Amino acid sequence: MVLANVHLRHMETSLRLGRYALDRGETPVACIFVHTPTDRIVAYGMNDTNRSLTGVAHAEFMGIDQIREFVGSFELADFFEDITLYVTVEPCIMCASALKQLGIGKVVFGAGNERFGGNGTVLRINSDTCTIGRSYVSFPGVLRREAIMLLRYFYVKSNERAPKPRTKGERSLDKNNFPPINWQDYLERDAFVNEFGQDKEEHYYNETDWTEDILWDVIDKPQFTVIEELEAARHASGLWFKNKKIKH
Amino acid sequence: MVKKSLNPVKIDYKKCIVENRLLQIRNDKIVDLADPLKVWTLEINAKDSKKVVDFIRRTMQPNDPVPLMHIKRIKKADIQKKTLRVVLCSVEMIREKQCVISLLKQLGPNFQYNNLNDTHFVPRQAAPTKELVLEWSDKYWPLSWYGNPNDQILNDYTFDMNAIKLLLEQIAIKATEELNSGNCYPIVSLFVDPKDIENPIIAVDRRTNTDFTILEHSIMSGIKAVAEKESKRREQVAKRVKKDTGSVYLCSDFDVYTTHEPCSMCSMALIHSRIKRCIFVQPMPKTGCLKTESGNNYCMHNNRNLNSKYEVFQWIGSEYPVPQIPEDTCC
Repeated sequence: MVLANVHLRHMETSLRLGRYALDRGETPVACIFVHTPTDRIVAYGMNDTNRSLTGVAHAEFMGIDQIREFVGSFELADFFEDITLYVTVEPCIMCASALKQLGIGKVVFGAGNERFGGNGTVLRINSDTCTIGRSYVSFPGVLRREAIMLLRYFYVKSNERAPKPRTKGERSLDKNNFPPINWQDYLERDAFVNEFGQDKEEHYYNETDWTEDILWDVIDKPQFTVIEELEAARHASGLWFKNKKIKH
Repeated sequence: MVKKSLNPVKIDYKKCIVENRLLQIRNDKIVDLADPLKVWTLEINAKDSKKVVDFIRRTMQPNDPVPLMHIKRIKKADIQKKTLRVVLCSVEMIREKQCVISLLKQLGPNFQYNNLNDTHFVPRQAAPTKELVLEWSDKYWPLSWYGNPNDQILNDYTFDMNAIKLLLEQIAIKATEELNSGNCYPIVSLFVDPKDIENPIIAVDRRTNTDFTILEHSIMSGIKAVAEKESKRREQVAKRVKKDTGSVYLCSDFDVYTTHEPCSMCSMALIHSRIKRCIFVQPMPKTGCLKTESGNNYCMHNNRNLNSKYEVFQWIGSEYPVPQIPEDTCC
C-alpha cells in the first residue's frame, strides 16, 4: 500500500471531525489515533477548551484519555509505539512533548502551527534532548489547505461575533491563496520521498502541496455522522485489543 | 508604580535578585538583541505634529501588540521643507496598507501626508544599556533612554515575601510527605488564584498512579484541579447556593509555585493557562525549560517565538529543601 494514500484517507477523517468541531463553535483542530499494524482507528479527539475550562484540553489529550479506557498504564508505552497520529494542525509544544513522553510512533499533520508548533515550526520537541521519551518522525503538509480553510472559516466566524472587529489584517475569507510550505523546515528530501512517493519530489523543492484539488466536499459539508463512525471504530478496537490480551 | 528609591522591596538590579532570595529567570541570550520590527511610517508637515502624536496616543498605542514606548515617535525628515517622519504603529498591529490609509482618515479631510510605507525598522525591545541605545538609534531609529528597562520591570513587580515563604514551605513539606509515602516522583505544585488567595490548590505528581498516565505531572494535575473547582463553583452559582463572585478564566493571572523546574509540556501548559508568575525551587539542568542554561535552552516563558509570556523566579535560599530526583525526569 502506498503510504501517501493511507495518510490521505486518515487525514480526511480528521478533517471531517474538524468540520464537526467547527459546527459546534470549537476551534476546528481534530485528530485520530491509528494503530498502524492493523490500520485501526483507536481514538479520536477535538479541541475541548470551552467545555473543560482549561487551556490544555487539546485534541490530542482527548484521544489519549480515550486510549486509557482500553489500555492499562503499564501497556501504554508498547501500545503507543505502533500508533500514528493524524492531526489537522501541527501539535503545539505541550502536545508534542506529551506525545514524545508517551513514546508515539509517528505524527502526520496538515497545517503548521505558526504560534505554538512543536514539530518544527517554532520548536522541534519531537527530536530534542530535554524532553525524555522516544524521538518520533513527523510528516507535515497532508491536506494542508483543507486544514487551513477550516481555521479560516473559524476566524471569520469568530470575528463576526466579536464586539469590536479587529483591525489586524483582513478578515474576509480567502479561498484561493495559501502560503508556500517549506518542507525543509520539517524533514529531509529522502524522508519526504520515502513517505509520500518519488512522483511528489518536485513539490519538496517548489514548496507546494502534492494533492491536486482541495477536498471542498469534506470541509464544506456538515459532518453529522462522523462521531458515530469514530465511536464505533474505537469501541471495536478496544474490544479487539482486550481479546488480543486474553489470547496472549 | 513606585520610584526605585522608595520601593520597600530590596532588589539587586545588577544580579536581578529580590530580597536575596528570588532570582529573576529570563532569557539571557536575547536581552541585547535588537530584534528589528517593521513599522508603518509616514511624512507629515511639522505643524501637524501635535495632532498626529495625539492620534497615535489615543488610537494606535493602546492597540499595538508591541509596546513601542522605548522609541521616539518622530524624527526630522526634511529640514528645509519642515517635514517630519512619524512611526504610526507596528506591522503586527496592521498588516494591510489599505487599513492604515482608512485609519488615517480619522485625522480629517485636510490632513496631508506623504510616503506612507512599511520599510522602516525599529528595535522590538528597549536597549539594556546606554551604549546600545546609541548604537541602535544610529542603526534603526532614534530611541529614548529611561535606564535599563529590566530595572523598571523588576521594580514594578509585586512581592509578598511572607506569603511566598509560606507557600514554598507548604510545597516543600508536601513533597517530603510524598517521598515518605513512596511516591518516586515527589514533585508538588501549588496554584494561587489572585481573586481567592486564601484557598490555593495543591497538586502532586501522579504519573505512577495506575488511574493516570505518565503525563500526570503536578502542573498538569493542578491545571485540571483549577478547572474542576471553577466548574463546581459555576454549578453552585447556577443553583444559587453561592453568590457569583465572577468567573475564573483558565488560570489567568495565577501564581504557580512548584518544587522542580517544569519540563517542555508543563512550561507550555502554563502559557496556555495564562498564568502570571511561576516560582520554582530546584532547577532541572537536563529537562528544565525555563532557565537559559537548562535543557535545550528554550526559556519557554521568555522565548521570542512564543509571544505569550509569564514571570519566572527561582528561590535561591536553602530554607525549603525539596527531594532530589533523577536528572532525566520531566517535571
